[in-house]
Amino acid sequence: MNTEPSSDPGVEPSRRLSRRAVLGMGGATGAAALGGVGWLIGSSSPGDEPVAASLATPMPTSAPPAPTPTPSVTGGRVLVIVQCGGGNDGLNTLVPADGRYHDARPAIGLADGDLVAMSGVDDFGLHPGLEPLTGLWDRGWLAPVAGIGMADQSRSHFIALESWWSGDPGTPFRGGWIGRWMDATLADDPDPLRAVALGGGSPLLAAMTSRSVAVNDPANFSLDVPVGVDQDRFAAAYRALADPLSNEPVIASAQAAIPSTLEAIDVLAGASAASGDDVRPASALLTTAASLIADEPRTSVVVINIGGFDTHAGQLAQQAPLLGDLGSGIAGFFDAVEASGDAERTLLITTSEFGRRVAENGSAGTDHGQASVGFVCGPGVSGGGVVGAYDFGNLVDGDLPVVVDTRSVYAAALDWLGGPTDEVLGGSWDRLGLLA
Amino acid sequence: MVSTERIAWLARRAGWGLAPGELDALRDAPTDDVISHFLAGRGPAPDPWADMELAVETDQPLPVFAAAIQRWLDHFASTTEPAADRMTWLWHDHFAVSARVVRSPLAVVEHMRLLRTHALGNFRDLLRAVTTDAAMLVFLDGAQSTGDAPNENYGRELLELYSVGFDAYTEADVRAASIALTGWTINRRQRAVRFVPRRHDDTPQTLLGRPGVRDVDTVVDAVVSNPACAPFITGKIAASLLGPGVDPAVTAPLSTAFAADLEIRPLLDGLMRLGLDGVGGEVVDDPVTWLVAAARALDTGATPVGVIRMLEAMGQVPAAPPNVGGFPPPSAYLSASTTAARVSVAGQLAQRAREGNPAHDAARAGDLGALAMALGRPDGFGPTTAAALAAVDEATPASTAVARLTLALVAPELVIA
Repeated sequence: MNTEPSSDPGVEPSRRLSRRAVLGMGGATGAAALGGVGWLIGSSSPGDEPVAASLATPMPTSAPPAPTPTPSVTGGRVLVIVQCGGGNDGLNTLVPADGRYHDARPAIGLADGDLVAMSGVDDFGLHPGLEPLTGLWDRGWLAPVAGIGMADQSRSHFIALESWWSGDPGTPFRGGWIGRWMDATLADDPDPLRAVALGGGSPLLAAMTSRSVAVNDPANFSLDVPVGVDQDRFAAAYRALADPLSNEPVIASAQAAIPSTLEAIDVLAGASAASGDDVRPASALLTTAASLIADEPRTSVVVINIGGFDTHAGQLAQQAPLLGDLGSGIAGFFDAVEASGDAERTLLITTSEFGRRVAENGSAGTDHGQASVGFVCGPGVSGGGVVGAYDFGNLVDGDLPVVVDTRSVYAAALDWLGGPTDEVLGGSWDRLGLLA
Repeated sequence: MVSTERIAWLARRAGWGLAPGELDALRDAPTDDVISHFLAGRGPAPDPWADMELAVETDQPLPVFAAAIQRWLDHFASTTEPAADRMTWLWHDHFAVSARVVRSPLAVVEHMRLLRTHALGNFRDLLRAVTTDAAMLVFLDGAQSTGDAPNENYGRELLELYSVGFDAYTEADVRAASIALTGWTINRRQRAVRFVPRRHDDTPQTLLGRPGVRDVDTVVDAVVSNPACAPFITGKIAASLLGPGVDPAVTAPLSTAFAADLEIRPLLDGLMRLGLDGVGGEVVDDPVTWLVAAARALDTGATPVGVIRMLEAMGQVPAAPPNVGGFPPPSAYLSASTTAARVSVAGQLAQRAREGNPAHDAARAGDLGALAMALGRPDGFGPTTAAALAAVDEATPASTAVARLTLALVAPELVIA
């Protein structure tokens, strides 16, 4: 499969920015505090996101029928990016029917009989937690991309994240791939609600001139003023702290956060109510995202940050609730946007900074590897088949080699948004026929 | 002699802000005395948890951890050894052990004590202690790593995050360090650290070019003697104290001296003097630093009950960093959710301020110069903030004072350290 760019984007090795310098351009690593003070009662995920233990509030498995979908807004195309922080194990997510997989994973390999079948495909099955995605699969709304990774895929969380955020591996971080797209298509004054990150900020939105909104927990996002103080007068005084903006950039950035925040509170107050008491990170945030898309025509990009995928030990028990949440979250999201009449303008992709070693380690887990799997979902997808492959025949240092460059998925996503794709990605990447 | 503006700057960056009266005591003091004030504390480390019963393991850890964390922050807010405690906070960000994974209140507190003990001490001692610390052995799976099946989690982060940085090691170094560190494990019930020779692979490894590495001491020696280590650690501390983007050439002499003995106190001393000379730029205060400094200035005694929920809303919970890399860089705390939560927390703090506290009284009197001074900004508020604060007018003088103090705490001058 040719995924090389037709024009060399001019990648040249250079000393990388420090992790903190990179992160400083855009915010959290996609794993900020989330979802109630249950953070200490969550899973034992090593060094990553809390996962609430309670699954007490199931998502509806199907939305109420919407006889005549009436688009609630007249917004344009929307892209949702679900970032699965920690490096998701692709092999136990989209599982290959391959003896070499089972040989490498005597303790944590998933048995063929436990997998969720994908009609028309014999050589792969889905992790049981992803069963809710079969509805999308059967409609041709789901394209799994196997063997995905970035050129020169790193096993370091932070170097890998940097290159996945930038879409420009091997060069100093100069903004996120979505940030560059926002700058390239910026028409008027920067509207921070054009891109909204939920579950923490993301450097993939880092831009030169465009702005975005980052909210950790949209269900707990409001302006609470002290007792005895008038809410409106206080908000006006608070806003006055930001007018006029200082000439000093750091002060100005602290000022600019004030009106953005007040506006985001207005918009997200309603959207987050849709998730109710759902404590599952992906499901709750995706429900909020669906509501935001239905109500706010200015929003073109939503980033969802979830974590906990760094499964070095005890992987089976750790990954199952994460994928269960992801599967029902994505299915519920499309139910919701279909009900609101917004499905046709919505594309969703999942990312994770690397896959994991083919062979399990001695702790019933897997160490950092290279290629993994990503999902591309929506009515605009040419789904129903697996794109790419797991190349067991050419392992690199025990890892699956990258056979699909991440930028092919980015190119399809940017095409969906209307481009300019090749300009943003610095080259023309094979779209792999991902979009219908 | 150091200007009041620079003393206040040093208090914000190398300590936890200024308590009422602290600035007056340092006014007109020679530079060495100002530095000594912040670098105080060569004796035994104070122990905020001395009389606290700590469970070895708990299924319902929240109350235990919340109480332990609140004591930690209380201690910061009232400390008389500001730099030692501020560096403890920096090392927590550096090593970023999470209670969510460790689940043992005792092990987490022991980890915090370890960080405090070595905060201004020797970096080799610190790294050696962290490497076989119970909390870390759980956090990055070292306790499960054996010669038959080495787990690379700690070995990788030891190199990338804790000592030499991404550019300085190879995948072979990750494996070598991981193999040489096998055998260290913990007794689950007691959380007691022990070395089990039969779990250890004693085969000599080559780590960062140094042959014969086969145990924890030779691993740590190979790492700290690597030429990348001293600049990496110097850069980390410099970014916290002086802000990002300081030219490494400016700190190179300090880094060179640090490489020779790995002593943290003289390194920090040198960086503090660079800052007093005007090197560096602005940084956004992280929520913990902002909250503790506000509690210290407002003299609210302890940090408020419910501090964990406040910090969670602002996006930074001690002992629960979001991932192995620690907390996000301070600029992340200009996000919409942190900005909104900061207002709520500022309001709660403002309501706790009492008559007699300089910030409270200045807010009530509408004396903006005195208010800025009391909040650690001797140069005053900028014109935009001053105009907004002057215009505050609520139904009663008390609510006007609360609203004005709340707004002052969330003004850009206070959010930027």
